[in-house]
Amino acid sequence: MRRTILALPLALLLLAKAPNVFGAPLDAPALARHIDEAIDACLRVEKVAPSPRCEDAEFVRRVYLDIVGHIPPAEKAAAFLDSREPNKRAQLIEDLLASNEYGKHQADIWQALLLQRTSDNRFISFDKMTQWLEKAFNDNKPWDQMVRDILTAQGDMDDNGAVTYFLAHLTPDKLTDNATRVFLGVQLQCAQCHNHPFTKWKQDEYWGMAAFFTKVRINGNPRQIARQGGTLVVSENGKGRPLPLPISAKRVPPKFLQGEQPQLASSDAYRPVLAKWMTSPQNPYFSRAMVNRLWAQFFGRGLVNPIDDMHEGNPPSHPQLLADLSAQFTASGFDVKQFIRALCNSEAYQRTSKPNTSNRDAAPELFSRMAVKVLTPEQLYDSLVQVLGAPNPENFRRRQGVAAAAAVRLRNITPRMVFVAFFKGEDNAEPTEYQAGIPQVLRLMNSPQLNNTTMLAPLLKSGKTPEQIIEYLYLATLSRRPTAPEMQRTLALVHKHADEPRQAYGDILWVLLNSSEFTLNH
Amino acid sequence: MTLLNLSRRDWLKLSAAGVSAVSLSGWLQVLASRAAQTPTKHKSCILLWMDGGPSHKDTFDLKPGTKDGGEFKPISTAVPGIQISEHLPKFAQVMNHAAILRGMSTSEGAHPRAKYYLHTGYKEGQGGLNYPSLGSLVSAEIGKPDGPMPNYVSIGARSYGAGFLGIHHAPLLVADPARGVENLKPLVNGSHFDDRLGLLHEMESAFYREYKAEASADHWTTYQRAVTLMQSKEAKAFDLSLEPSSVRQAYGSSRFGDGCLLARRLVEAGVSFVEVTLGGWDTHQNNFERVKQLSQQCDPAMAALVNDLKQRGLLDSTLIVWMGEFGRTPRINQRGAKPGRDHYPRAWSSVLIGGGIKGGQVIGKTDKEGATVVERPISALDFLATICELLGINWKKQNNTPIGRPIRIVDKGATPIAELLG
Repeated sequence: MRRTILALPLALLLLAKAPNVFGAPLDAPALARHIDEAIDACLRVEKVAPSPRCEDAEFVRRVYLDIVGHIPPAEKAAAFLDSREPNKRAQLIEDLLASNEYGKHQADIWQALLLQRTSDNRFISFDKMTQWLEKAFNDNKPWDQMVRDILTAQGDMDDNGAVTYFLAHLTPDKLTDNATRVFLGVQLQCAQCHNHPFTKWKQDEYWGMAAFFTKVRINGNPRQIARQGGTLVVSENGKGRPLPLPISAKRVPPKFLQGEQPQLASSDAYRPVLAKWMTSPQNPYFSRAMVNRLWAQFFGRGLVNPIDDMHEGNPPSHPQLLADLSAQFTASGFDVKQFIRALCNSEAYQRTSKPNTSNRDAAPELFSRMAVKVLTPEQLYDSLVQVLGAPNPENFRRRQGVAAAAAVRLRNITPRMVFVAFFKGEDNAEPTEYQAGIPQVLRLMNSPQLNNTTMLAPLLKSGKTPEQIIEYLYLATLSRRPTAPEMQRTLALVHKHADEPRQAYGDILWVLLNSSEFTLNH
Repeated sequence: MTLLNLSRRDWLKLSAAGVSAVSLSGWLQVLASRAAQTPTKHKSCILLWMDGGPSHKDTFDLKPGTKDGGEFKPISTAVPGIQISEHLPKFAQVMNHAAILRGMSTSEGAHPRAKYYLHTGYKEGQGGLNYPSLGSLVSAEIGKPDGPMPNYVSIGARSYGAGFLGIHHAPLLVADPARGVENLKPLVNGSHFDDRLGLLHEMESAFYREYKAEASADHWTTYQRAVTLMQSKEAKAFDLSLEPSSVRQAYGSSRFGDGCLLARRLVEAGVSFVEVTLGGWDTHQNNFERVKQLSQQCDPAMAALVNDLKQRGLLDSTLIVWMGEFGRTPRINQRGAKPGRDHYPRAWSSVLIGGGIKGGQVIGKTDKEGATVVERPISALDFLATICELLGINWKKQNNTPIGRPIRIVDKGATPIAELLG
């Protein structure tokens, strides 16, 4: 039934040149209102009543996790809950977007999307690219400029972290797969070996796109450089070896996906031509892909879902909204912070994730309540560190053993990387899906490193009452104060173990850190 | 619905609905009794992974008296006509249960890519996907979805993961077999831990009651499974200290021997796939001394493993696979004072034991130098399809990736080795 309302002409879906319906770009509050009008209109048609606005405690935790990638410190959470400032939510969004942790969190997300660890790139450090991404997001570099900078990156990896993109992929086909998936939201890789089964993409078109990367050259030996120092240089037709094409490659001239074949002289650089086409305001895929991706970051699913599989067979839930947002994002000059500001200020984003009687069984793509997202491994680690303090690097080195120690030096492996690798779920997992297995849960419950309760010592010496300590633990982990029954229950525990207060508070902390409520962004 | 059948999200839903008759102690009892149900007999696989690529000419395909034939002498085995290296004398005695495949011929000659290929049957990076390893495929196909034990355990090395099959089929790593599973014991004593769990259960129920989030239910299910493992009798399978020292000695008292013994205990406890890694086979230098040492670690461990499984009636249902990522050059290189052999995927050997195969045979043949396969070549795909066939897995089945791409368990072009399926 929903399908009849939400379905749209296919032509509009893919080909929409997305005319700017508003003329000039809207400011963030107006764009937020537009989002709400579109979402609410759909809910009215479906006769679903949305969940109400979330409580401040839900909001502060959610917006911290979504914008800066970790839960708020106890003091910040308490201050927000106690503030009577009517505009405090919008102000918090501003403060977090202005924080440098915003770029760090986006860099985590984009590094995982842009660079995958394989045996071919095992000697390449990804750190420079992470730093490059962090700065670009914090500077709020326009998205089209960022993508052009990545796709045309050249020079020394120490000077230009963006060249890591080429060092990590190393072949034109892998670059094509990644660039089209991440920047255009389409999965071309099936067409590497055969015509795509459910789109119009042909094998020739795949290799036509891949041809744009055939002039890239890499100078330097990664293994040697990892051991002895030095640097790798990426260029277009400069010194070094060209990226190898697989034997199965079709040799075709560069051609844009579903587009023309540009006239290129043999001396021309190819990548700038591709980058210009890809990031053009006229490219129907580019703006839409980013809008959909950012939407999914905050709402737990895309307007098109799965997010990087946009094709006729996978239509958006709100086609007009997606077209409008894409047009707005383009008109804003691809302003990422501005777009996030609008998302976070919408009522749709600020709904509680608790269902009501009307929307209990409503489809998630109606956005009638906030999705419950699972903390990413990075968010989980940073939130644990927020509560427990950072692990001792010396202990970490000792635990790694001799063989791993070499790798630790080689690629500057940190406890955070080890944790993230251990907790990483499947590729392309839905953000709402719980991915940890038994080994991960055993580590959370029973590892001494993740159950270090030294943070309790100063708390116990602070002269706080048991009620205050319990309240602090709840604020530090769940960003809320305990309910009356919770306070009663935990106080009873403290009184029962009056002779061993540290054990009692340790129990409470263990329970809080192992709870769904801690590990979920609700 | 009886209590024993409660699974997945039922507990949370019951608690959320206010069914208070089910106390926490009741819950723990249910876990304990579920854990006590003995698993029905099913097929298992133990992969003995010889990391680095063992020299076929110095282990299972000797070429005595030829140029670069090496120092080792062949010895006779329990099967007339089949000879193997003199440094595998104990294994020679159980040759009647084993088949040596001397016609392995593959295409990847660099360690990481070859290891990936032989573990997954797909080239690394092919089609932009991350493919599941054999252990994860076995876990998904014949593992028990809700048992207390993991279905895929990797001993000694991380091995390869579940790829697009997801974290539920990723291996449980046992870095050191003598130490067992990391973090299996609670940090506080048993009843204290139960208290913590009781409080956690209350929190979980309250949260689920309000939020009705699937992720919350899955979170609690995973905790239940982990706690079940911690408290189950099967978890004792991870504890090698429960074995008499004479048994550990029989396996050779090495880390690899401990790994094989642990593998046997895990198979007895119902684990479907165990991988045990023995590293050090990358013998570019000092080949003969090192292959001798490595063979001497393999020999008692493998022989004891075969004998133990047979004695327990588990050999026919347990397939043991001995393999590395490739063989080594027929020529001895001229590097340094103690020369070695280099990477060689074109012709090499693997060994299959038990699992209902027709044992006591050699399949395939290399030329007199051990350089090319002259009879019965076996590709990586043939090999993996054979393993699946022996384990009762339909290797032509397609798994779907998260975006719905159908990927076969073993790619097209495979033919299982009929001679083994006696």
